[in-house]
Amino acid sequence: MTDLSLSRPAPAEAPVPRALARRVLPYAMLSPAVLVTLAIVFLPMVQTAWMSLHDYVLFRPNDFTWVGLKNFRAALADEVFWISLGHTAIWMAVTIPAQLLLGLVTAMLLNQPFPWRGLARALIIIPWALPSVVIALMWVWIYDSNYGIANEFLLRFGLIRQAIPWLADPSTALGAIILTLTWQGFPFFAVMILAGLQSIPKSYYEAASIDGASAWNQFRHITLPGISGVIMTAVLLRLIWVANSFDVIFVMTGGGPGYATYTLPLYAFVKARTNLDFGYGSAIAVLFTLCLMGVVVFYLRRSLKGAE
Amino acid sequence: MALRRVSTPRRILTVDLPMLAILAFTLGPYLWMFLTSVSEESTLFTRGPSLEGASFDNYLRLFRTVGFGSNLMDSLIVSLGTVAVGLSLSVTAAYAFSRFNFRGKRILMLQFLLINMFPLVLLILPLFVLFRVLGLLDTHAALIIANSTVAIPFSIWMMVSYMNGIPRSLDEAAMTDGCTRMQALRRVVLPLCLPGIIATGIYIFITSWNEYLYALTLGGRNVRTITVAVQTLIGEYEVQWGLLTAGGITGALPATILFLLVQKRLISGLTQGAVKG
Amino acid sequence: MTFARIGAASVLALAAGLAHADSTVRFWYHFDNADNPMDALVAEFEAANPGITVEAENVPWNSYYDQLYTAIIGGSAPDAAMVKMFAQPRLVEMGALEPIGDKLAEWDGAAGLQDNLLDLTRAADGNQYYLPVQYVVLYLYYRADMFEELGLEVPQTCEDFRAAAQALTRDTDGDGQTDVWGFGFRGAKGGHDHWASLTLGREGVGLQDGLTSAAGVAGTQFVADLFRTDKVFPPSAPNDGFQEIIGAFKAGKTAMTIHHIGSANGMVEALGDKVAAAPVPECGGGRWTSFGDESTAVLSSAEDKDAAWKWIAFLSSEGNNARFNEATGQLPVVKADSAGWTLHPQRFVEATVDSLPFAHLLPDSAATADFVNTVWPTAMQRVLTGAITAEEMNAEIAALFDD
Repeated sequence: MTDLSLSRPAPAEAPVPRALARRVLPYAMLSPAVLVTLAIVFLPMVQTAWMSLHDYVLFRPNDFTWVGLKNFRAALADEVFWISLGHTAIWMAVTIPAQLLLGLVTAMLLNQPFPWRGLARALIIIPWALPSVVIALMWVWIYDSNYGIANEFLLRFGLIRQAIPWLADPSTALGAIILTLTWQGFPFFAVMILAGLQSIPKSYYEAASIDGASAWNQFRHITLPGISGVIMTAVLLRLIWVANSFDVIFVMTGGGPGYATYTLPLYAFVKARTNLDFGYGSAIAVLFTLCLMGVVVFYLRRSLKGAE
Repeated sequence: MALRRVSTPRRILTVDLPMLAILAFTLGPYLWMFLTSVSEESTLFTRGPSLEGASFDNYLRLFRTVGFGSNLMDSLIVSLGTVAVGLSLSVTAAYAFSRFNFRGKRILMLQFLLINMFPLVLLILPLFVLFRVLGLLDTHAALIIANSTVAIPFSIWMMVSYMNGIPRSLDEAAMTDGCTRMQALRRVVLPLCLPGIIATGIYIFITSWNEYLYALTLGGRNVRTITVAVQTLIGEYEVQWGLLTAGGITGALPATILFLLVQKRLISGLTQGAVKG
Repeated sequence: MTFARIGAASVLALAAGLAHADSTVRFWYHFDNADNPMDALVAEFEAANPGITVEAENVPWNSYYDQLYTAIIGGSAPDAAMVKMFAQPRLVEMGALEPIGDKLAEWDGAAGLQDNLLDLTRAADGNQYYLPVQYVVLYLYYRADMFEELGLEVPQTCEDFRAAAQALTRDTDGDGQTDVWGFGFRGAKGGHDHWASLTLGREGVGLQDGLTSAAGVAGTQFVADLFRTDKVFPPSAPNDGFQEIIGAFKAGKTAMTIHHIGSANGMVEALGDKVAAAPVPECGGGRWTSFGDESTAVLSSAEDKDAAWKWIAFLSSEGNNARFNEATGQLPVVKADSAGWTLHPQRFVEATVDSLPFAHLLPDSAATADFVNTVWPTAMQRVLTGAITAEEMNAEIAALFDD
């Protein structure tokens, strides 16, 4: 396996003279990236975590009182917190596999030789290259129950009898947004996997062809292992990204109808940016980060095990 | 599978047609957006978008009176700057992660992930204060630095997974031949993981191209990216559909063209048989 | 390269600062008009006031207040800004606003403002911070042709309104599916105006008291029944924002809706004489409609407060105010400017003026912003989708204002 091999022992190192350089070099190479991220993200993160232990409402800037874990207790007793957590779980569990599957198929197709391949490769990334707010507004219009093209299309083909208010019905709103996000995100997987596919030597396929392996078997035994490292990383990164992305939801429904499309980052956003309650918003953000970290650590453990 | 000579009809059935279907799904909304951007705005809601009486007025307005040209320029500077900063920092870091074993490696790698897990919106206020103290508000540098921090962790992880795909024996062989570490990195590893670098570069470019929250808070009058400019078209009582869609169409072009230009590179590199050669 | 750029920029800024030690007014605004009409006003002001530079920044509306609060807390607030009443309690509490009472007293333009506007925009602490710059009043838009076709009168009471909405909700093309709805209700953020017109006019009902009374609950129940029982709103109502309600009305999908003069010209463009306007109906013994305000204010952190004041006074002066409103599509606050107002067809100006006697602002309370932005939309949507009852919604709102 190509990736996630954090614990793999090093192969025999070069002899002594270079030993010191060897020990210092990795840190030297890492320090710019580490320092920048520490200063720009880590410090504000610690500050925010600190805020979560206080009563801090932005329009009362002088009222910054220590309340310990009060905000956390309030969050755990908050119905909306649990609703949002549930939606976040559904949101991740559906969006990522959908994006991955569509991205994988697309990458496999884009790896085949065909005359307009270059053009297809470029066009495929368009959804990914569009600003989220434009995407969200566009899809709101597509889903519109009065003049939206989705309803018109389905009506014309007789799939539904009456226009469905996709975003206004609590039972369809989350699904509709997930479709939008799948559309927006699958090109990421397509590009990443396409790049990963290049590292599989052609000779493997040649050998397999000679042995008479079917296309499916070639896919299973050559392609999939060859790109599994990239896929694992891509899924991991996308997991974090999708979990955190709420801008599309915010523009499409604002979390509504009711709480039907609330996710945790959205809830934190609403609390902090709209209600200006930074104490509570930070507490939600911290809890969310802890949950996400749990998922990520679990995922990493699993994929490490799978890799060995 | 990529090798067997496939007959044309079969290729059309198994490759061209599915590809067309995916492209239809991909481009449908985009084309509809285009249609909206050239439609007459007065009848947009009564008759829907149509090519009847189509005009490119919205595009002209966008550049002449709205000043979208300078917004595009700002976005371009910020995105390319982020790609430069992000790639150079993450390639070196990824090389260290991929080729060395050292104390704290696991923690450091996880640290990079953790950074991207925290909801950005809550970091805005401390960051705003930080950049004000540094005097960087409303500069390209502020956005480049902020976007880099978002991009670097992901880029490092991505680069590590591509670099791990390149056998260590190659750069070790180069060093035995007298190359230094850096030379080995530059002459052997970099060319080989070019597809990965390009994919990562595209990723960084698109991420910073579409970034809104930082651009809004840390930017301002002098530095205004297209995402912020597009937002100003969504008013309190009116959405300027024509301009908004024209902005979306135009805004997606640079990344698409960029990808069109570099996509061939995605293929070269490893496939030439260098790895196994 | 970037650092060189910053260096160059700061040297330039320094040089500019040394060349003429004048003041700069950083002004934030939000406009629905994309063509930068502010530039002309700024140029004119600068020509009339040598030594003052105005840096006007168009901030996206949906992030406007987030951004403003962030800038104030972060210590980099603008010198003057466009502001609404709902934000005043918070801004006052933050100490972010500069009282302009003394300046107003000396200003000869003050007498030319529409009556009562300064009283309406006075803060709870008795100070004047806001200088009105434009306003709108919400009223009922209706399809005159549909009313005529069905022989309906313009609804005067809630009961008439319900009957009319029921009659107007119909299947016009005979496919068995409803394709015109009686009323386009705005269930998403900003729709509290619709709900308020049908609820807060009732006797003894207000946001801060009487909301949980029988009359108050009856108002919310009335809205819920219109949607859930009578089905006179489009099914998408819970999630509809202004572009959906205006779009549906223009497209002929709804026969009535509530909005203000800002959308009048667009409606006439789409529907011509078929669209007409009237004050909102009387519900439960009284009428209530929203006064949509917009003012400018000087921020307490402004370096040159006199220059900032000069600029905002300029915008609310005769002639300039008309031009400002031609750009925004709202109504001027200067009497002389509204006298000769021809931007909107007369019938819409009349409906606005007729609605003024019962036009209200939301309470001057720190809770108002949360009511508008989160509590009302979520609770209303939950009532419309049947997740909670009308009593529960009113109780939730009452609790918010009690805090």
